[in-house]
Amino acid sequence: MQGIHYIGEHAWAGQLGHTLTIISFVGAVLAALAYLIGTQRNDDGWKSLGRLAFRVHSVAVLGIVVVLFTMLFKHWFGYDYVWKHSNLQMPMKYIASCFWEGQEGSFLLWTFWHMVLGNILIWRAGKWEAPVMTIFAAVQIFLAMMLLGIYVGDVRIGSSPFLLIRELPENLGLPWTLAPDYLTRIPQFADGRGLNPLLQNYWMVIHPPTLFLGFASTLVPFAYAIAGLWTGQRKAWMTPALPWTFFGVMILGTGILMGGAWAYEALSFGGFWAWDPVENASLVPWLTLVGAGHLMLVNKRKETSLFTTYFLTLVSFILVLYSTFLTRSGVLGDTSVHSFTGDGMLPGLLLFMLFFIGLGVMMLVSDKGQRRFYALISLVLLAIGVLLEVQVGAILLFAALSIAMLVVAYRKSFSSNDPEEALWSREFWMFIASLVLLLSAAQITFSTSVPVFNLLLEPFGEFFASLGERTGSSFIAGLADAQLAPPGDAIAHYNKWQLPFAFIVSMLVAFTQYLRWKDSDMKKFRRDMLLSVLIALVVTAVAAWLLGYEPSRMQYIALLFATVFATAANAIYIPKILKGRLRNAGPSVAHVGFALVMLGALISTGNKEEVSQNTKGMDLRYLNEGFSNSSDILLYRGDTVRMGEFYVHYRAKEQEGINLNYRMDYFAVEPRDFRTGDTVRVGDMLFRAKTDHRATAVFLVDQPENWEPIEEYTKRELWYAEEWSHTRPGKFLFELAPFVQLNERMGNVAEPSTKHWLHRDLYTHIRYGDLSTESDSIAEGWMPDRLYEKTIGDTIVTPTSIVIIDSVYTVRDSATKAMLGERYTVYAAKLRIRDLYRADRWFDARPLVIYADGEAVAGKAAELEALRMRYGLATVVGDLNDQQSLKLGINVAEAEFVVMQALVFPGINILWLGCVLLALGSGMAVWQRVRSTKPSEA
Amino acid sequence: MKRSHIIAIVIIAVAIAALVGSLYDSSTYADLEMAMANPGKEYHVVGVLDRSAEIIYEPSLNASLTTFTMVDLAGRSARVNLNMAKPQDLERSERLVLIGKAGTNGEFHARDMLKKCPSKYNEEHAIEG
Repeated sequence: MQGIHYIGEHAWAGQLGHTLTIISFVGAVLAALAYLIGTQRNDDGWKSLGRLAFRVHSVAVLGIVVVLFTMLFKHWFGYDYVWKHSNLQMPMKYIASCFWEGQEGSFLLWTFWHMVLGNILIWRAGKWEAPVMTIFAAVQIFLAMMLLGIYVGDVRIGSSPFLLIRELPENLGLPWTLAPDYLTRIPQFADGRGLNPLLQNYWMVIHPPTLFLGFASTLVPFAYAIAGLWTGQRKAWMTPALPWTFFGVMILGTGILMGGAWAYEALSFGGFWAWDPVENASLVPWLTLVGAGHLMLVNKRKETSLFTTYFLTLVSFILVLYSTFLTRSGVLGDTSVHSFTGDGMLPGLLLFMLFFIGLGVMMLVSDKGQRRFYALISLVLLAIGVLLEVQVGAILLFAALSIAMLVVAYRKSFSSNDPEEALWSREFWMFIASLVLLLSAAQITFSTSVPVFNLLLEPFGEFFASLGERTGSSFIAGLADAQLAPPGDAIAHYNKWQLPFAFIVSMLVAFTQYLRWKDSDMKKFRRDMLLSVLIALVVTAVAAWLLGYEPSRMQYIALLFATVFATAANAIYIPKILKGRLRNAGPSVAHVGFALVMLGALISTGNKEEVSQNTKGMDLRYLNEGFSNSSDILLYRGDTVRMGEFYVHYRAKEQEGINLNYRMDYFAVEPRDFRTGDTVRVGDMLFRAKTDHRATAVFLVDQPENWEPIEEYTKRELWYAEEWSHTRPGKFLFELAPFVQLNERMGNVAEPSTKHWLHRDLYTHIRYGDLSTESDSIAEGWMPDRLYEKTIGDTIVTPTSIVIIDSVYTVRDSATKAMLGERYTVYAAKLRIRDLYRADRWFDARPLVIYADGEAVAGKAAELEALRMRYGLATVVGDLNDQQSLKLGINVAEAEFVVMQALVFPGINILWLGCVLLALGSGMAVWQRVRSTKPSEA
Repeated sequence: MKRSHIIAIVIIAVAIAALVGSLYDSSTYADLEMAMANPGKEYHVVGVLDRSAEIIYEPSLNASLTTFTMVDLAGRSARVNLNMAKPQDLERSERLVLIGKAGTNGEFHARDMLKKCPSKYNEEHAIEG
């Protein structure tokens, strides 16, 4: 390919990007080494070198970001990343979403935040700089490797966003890559494939950077903890690490909840949290980080549970790595909504994670000989895993070894014979709360990891099979197949297990702040708690009654109580104990926020109401008792149907750019007034109003006084009479327009439309609809035709009717002939149509088709408004004189409809308010700690 | 016994209960044959849509029922009653994961379905629960 001068390719950008990636990698390696030696020898020269190297690395990372953004902005579709993640139609404001849609971009985002945080630490960390930055640089080495995309032998390391499409391995050597003007010659290069429509949402512009900043900030306490172990300052590291930990809690928490907000606004799975593996993977490090932060607070006062503090701090970052591994290596496969496919990232990600697990365990062991032993065995296992390809065995041995070393480390350097802390001390209950958070995290991790277990179990199939045979346990025998699937109903599963944890944590959040460090005056404690308990009891009783919680839903009532208790206790704490000093109120505000998030989640999901009920038609419970009828509503265009406490009217379908909007008007439900002489149908009878009256809810109550049966009526009158109902649509309230984003390539996406009130939301989305647009040639107001090949005497069963094909004749009246001339033949079919649900309700329909020279050229369908059907005659083949031999094509179409789901989420604003307070409170606490810590102390 | 020991024992007990309980909650991937052999048990069945068979979705009869035929990875096929509105792009799906139980007449009742569609880079959001 040498010597070809490609036109319009901007190859320099890719080369620049590649070069910068290599510089960033080399810079990180140098920084890690220099800082490592600087720490070991306590040598300022090496430290300055490390600093310089990290600065170079930082500039390179910044450069990579700028180059990638430039490529996206300029639409250089010759580049694979640009082509795959952006296109020309996409609004510019979503260019940021394109940036992090792919693997490479999101790794880059992560690296970027580490780089930013690293520079802040260089500026602020003082004497901690060298050891902390060693860890930072080491992490950056791995991340830079993910972006290298170079080959070492046959193994590709990482994947670069700077590859031209013609440079992709699958395209190398193809003839078109030799054409200098391929970019203009091949039409595919004119425009990119575009951004996944789901990501074209403002939440997707801010959620990923926030989440990744949260992930990145878990590295700071991790690095400090390792630094503390490394330099033998087992407690001192907590002072500078503490504000960072709560900064991480704030940012990661905000990021997670932004993801929830995005899911709620743009996805149509009907809620803000679905316990999807990817969501879980981001929640788990947050839980352990919260635990870690609280244990650091405990340890600042008194050396207790030091090992647990280390464990939670280290594991938070490890869990971030694990979450990256789960979502990006492809192991989740079929189980997640939004995992990435592997792309060969698995080995790299696995090594990344195992390296830092190994580092953490090694540093916890204080004995130098044991450290070396552990490191050596780990390297041997790595060699066995890589060279002999027994990865699972090596990983399991490594896990066993690491656990053993942890036990050794704990017994040797962390178990203490100090007298235990008092039962009624703040530190004791904070410790318990942190353990509960860890348990909760463990359960979520465990259930999310089911696909990983299959991989780990696979080599032991025979072992489990024989064990299962010997013990007779079908459960163990089942493990032999390594075919575990995630819980069928994930939401129910996680709610079941997490609700008790949420209860315990909320209770602890409520009272622990009222306890004093060391020991508490229990009389004062009880007096302080009394008001909160009373408030909680009253509110719980009233709320449980309003929400209709039966005593059988004890766990709901318990959680309701705990969250209200936590809210009240922490809110009261500010005026009562802090005397209104807002400077110190951060923790209380954050705790109120946490409790409100729990409360809002409980109310909005526990009392979620599916108002879109399917009232007519067949009962699905006939098929299976687990089936539900109540999740969707069918709306014909122009229909007005009762839905919950509204009337909903499907007014119009409009196309707006790539969106198909389904405009739904909502009307109030008003009581129905009847006048004397009004006729209504009730079942198979007709009634006439005797009086002017307002209907009550039950016809039988109204009937004797207000209605008289009509004795004589024709069937026609019965069919056309209006059905009795005690309500009618009242005044227009609001419009919702759920829409479907049309995307030929990535699939159409239904997006919800939600009406927000202060106390609840009405959330609607289209589940099924006719997606034909104005440009299509389908008649307005009808679903696409269904063609049936039939002969005379056949029947067709449609959703509302039975069609009997009676006969076909030609229309030969003089008017038609005069109009069309001799060339044309007009055929008409005589159809007898019966209402599917009423055996005595018959209609006639006469659809026409016009033939010219043996070709059908036009037609006129017959519409039956009463049955919402349209019947067309598409083709007539054969001799009219032999009716039995005729082959007919009959088109049947239903009136246009959509199927919609509508959910009411009560109290969801409590949740959002809680989110804001949680972030605000954590921020206040961080600010307070940063202000009280001088850089020199840090 | 020290309080810390009691706590440790309680925590370990809860942890084991939670983990074993979670493992019992987990479902199993199975083929249709296995699902048919255990009609009462819920399985995840992986397969592909049989495009030659009719997909029936009649919202005016019931908006939450879709009926189609699936062929599992072992090649066995069954009629499926899915308790959902017909998913967008069902016809385009590459792979289906049905969550549900076998019925008594050789059909499969799916409570939920995940589907994977082709041509979506990253497969992001490819499956719609």
